[in-house]
Amino acid sequence: MIFDGEKEQRAVAEAFDYVIVGSGAAGATVARTLADSGASIAVVEEGPAVDTAEFDDHIFPTMQRIFRGGGLGALNARGRAFIPIIQGSCLGGTTVVNSAIVWRIPNDVWESWNVEYGLGKALPLTELHKNWDQIERELYVEPTPPAVWGGNNRLLDVAKTNLSVSAFPTRRNVRDCRGSARCFTGCPFGAKQSMLVSYLPYAVKRGATIFTSARVDRILMEENQAKAVTGFFHTSTVKKDLAPFTLYARKAVIVAASAIQTPLLLARSGVHSSHLGAHFQGHPGCSLTGVFDQPVNLWSGATQGYESDQHRVDGRFKVEPLALPPELVFGAMPGIGKRWVENMAQAAHLAVWSAPIRAEAEGAVREGRFGTDVRYDLTPRDMIFLRQGLKFVADLFFAAGAREIIPNVHGLPERLKHPEDGRLLESGPENPAAYSFALTHLFGTARMSARPQDGVVGTDFCVHGARNFYVVDSSVFPTNLGVNPQHAIMGIAMLAARQIMAKNG
Amino acid sequence: MLNPRAHVVLDTLLPPHAHPSLPRGLFDAGFESFYQNFARTANGTLRQGFQFALFIAIWISPLLIGRIPPITLYSRETRERALAAMESSRFYFLRQMMLILKNVVAFCYGANREVRDAIGYPRQHDDLRDTQNGRGSL
Repeated sequence: MIFDGEKEQRAVAEAFDYVIVGSGAAGATVARTLADSGASIAVVEEGPAVDTAEFDDHIFPTMQRIFRGGGLGALNARGRAFIPIIQGSCLGGTTVVNSAIVWRIPNDVWESWNVEYGLGKALPLTELHKNWDQIERELYVEPTPPAVWGGNNRLLDVAKTNLSVSAFPTRRNVRDCRGSARCFTGCPFGAKQSMLVSYLPYAVKRGATIFTSARVDRILMEENQAKAVTGFFHTSTVKKDLAPFTLYARKAVIVAASAIQTPLLLARSGVHSSHLGAHFQGHPGCSLTGVFDQPVNLWSGATQGYESDQHRVDGRFKVEPLALPPELVFGAMPGIGKRWVENMAQAAHLAVWSAPIRAEAEGAVREGRFGTDVRYDLTPRDMIFLRQGLKFVADLFFAAGAREIIPNVHGLPERLKHPEDGRLLESGPENPAAYSFALTHLFGTARMSARPQDGVVGTDFCVHGARNFYVVDSSVFPTNLGVNPQHAIMGIAMLAARQIMAKNG
Repeated sequence: MLNPRAHVVLDTLLPPHAHPSLPRGLFDAGFESFYQNFARTANGTLRQGFQFALFIAIWISPLLIGRIPPITLYSRETRERALAAMESSRFYFLRQMMLILKNVVAFCYGANREVRDAIGYPRQHDDLRDTQNGRGSL
């Protein structure tokens, strides 16, 4: 059953075995796993339930409806640069607006978690691989077929051949993808196996109740035991509180609200730790635009259907094509007046590839005077990785036959016209403020640790010093991954759900 | 409602007849009605950022090219130079303000059906629904 708090407009006080806060990759996977046990489950989602058929092909209304805070400008990481943080906020969370990219935790990353953080036993790789096998079966994971590569992805395949680098079709959780390049605004065909169309319906069929447009304000604790979650139903666009709700948890409260919202909720609920909200990490990325003589038709093909991991380990960056709707392509084009319009008119001939980096920077998430306050500043080494990443993207573009590249970097020429100009990117500005970043993939603000003094959550996913109070999202990760995290989050959430189930019967 | 000075700034930013394939300017692409919705529903940071960016464009950008504000005193060519100076300013804050202006403008312009047709963006199955809602063809 789905209880739409925006429509129902009445107070709710009910009891369930498990109350899960958040319906994204982590929360939905926990719901899916617990649902098999026959337990009664409530999933509480701050955003609205949006039907697949309602997904809109226009960025502004889409941002208003399914992105956190209305999208652009709502939440920025503040350092020397303001970096917009992109998060979905609707039933299914960010899985609704991501590109469905599937990566298991790379061995080198897991090894560092094992050696440096002592989490090998808490997160056993054999168990995780079993979970990933199951998830991949259930969500139809496969490499993007050439039929839906489209021009943008296909050009990276050309560059791969010409430069002999490691690159391949992206593995994604999609079923019968039509290559409509609309992942970022929600797949209107239900092809992307987001939590909205996969694990949440699975849980609902087995009796789970989902509360949408329901903002959790705090977890009610009694003698260090999580007893209930409480908050308000609200309107989804112009935020206005409606009726209150209290959902009692007979067995456990499980928080999966993301690395931004989880630490804030924990803090409001009385959890104290110097690590809470600290160690915030992510994958900031910048993109370059390649201009080709032939039409690329950026808007045709899988949103992100091909990728290069050539420098994932040594350079801490990946390369991914990005299909963008016209609004976002136009907004990134340089120029004023006639020049801007001339650049827009080239849109069909543009390809956009990004270099997200596995940044070493650690920031902090706090409740500020004016709302959520995220402090985050890239380190000098991060800027080296970024510049090397952009140089590599430029090399790939020229190898694919680009006529010129629009770097969108302050202080560099508006267009780079020769392959050797790529070095300008490598020796580009060191200040992050010269670049246009976006920050996705967020980690670490309630990190897992064996000892309370080293983190917020124990190796059993329970908040240190509390009972029946679990955190299962990427907040518990000790570091970022360098790859897209949805699959890692789901595998770990499934592991957590099984442990919680075993412990609580 | 946009004030006349803001109107001049936005018309300078995205004028009509700037390119043969994109003859529509921002205000031919339905910006007035877009703005009404934007002013009502956009998040506070973006809404206030847009207003502030317009203020900067009107009153500060002319100073960047050695002219006395407001920007509306000058010809289109001079206005374009002032806004271009804002876009490439060494001050990060001014560049960010221009980024907000351009993004909000692009939210409207890039969503316009005829603009999309002009750049070759394929019609989507939901265009029919948009047209019925009065949003598809402006």
